[in-house]
Amino acid sequence: MIEILLLVHLILAILVLSIRSLFTAVILMAIFSLFSAVLFFVLHAPDVALTEAAVGAGVSTFLYIWIVKRTQKEVK
Amino acid sequence: MTTTLAFDLIGYLFVASSVVSLYRVLWGPTIPDRLLGLNVASAQILAILVLYAAKEKLHVYLDVALVYDIFGFVGILALTKFLEKRHRKGE
Repeated sequence: MIEILLLVHLILAILVLSIRSLFTAVILMAIFSLFSAVLFFVLHAPDVALTEAAVGAGVSTFLYIWIVKRTQKEVK
Repeated sequence: MTTTLAFDLIGYLFVASSVVSLYRVLWGPTIPDRLLGLNVASAQILAILVLYAAKEKLHVYLDVALVYDIFGFVGILALTKFLEKRHRKGE
C-alpha cells in the first residue's frame, strides 16, 4: 500500500513541477495533497492527516487558485 | 483473521481504482476532464479513509474523513468558480 502511494507521489510531483498550465498544476497539487493525506493516514498519524486534509485540500487550493486568477495563466 | 484479510484486499482494490481514475487527471485533454477525475479519485480516497476507520475501530480516523470531505468540497468549489469566470470571459 505504502509503495503504491509513494510511486503516485513521485509521478504527481514531477508532473506538478513540469506542467505548463497553472490551473492544471493547481488541480494536480490538490490531488497530491489528497494522496499525502492518505499516506499519513496509512502510517497511523491521523492528526497529521487531518491537518493535511484541511490545509492541503481546502485552504491551499483556494489560495493558489486566487493567486493564479489575479496573475498569469501560463508559465512563460 | 479473514476479516483483516478482507479489509486489506478491499483497501488495495480502492487504491488501485483511485490510481486508475487518476488517468483522467493526468492525461485528460481538457480542464473539466481533470476536475471530474479529481472528484472521482477523492470519492475513492474517502472510501479508503472510512474503510480504515472501520478496520481500526477508532473515532479519530472518521474525523479525518469528515474534514477531508468538507474541505475537498470547498477546494473543488473554488476550482469550478475560477473555471466559470474564465469561460465567461470567452477564453
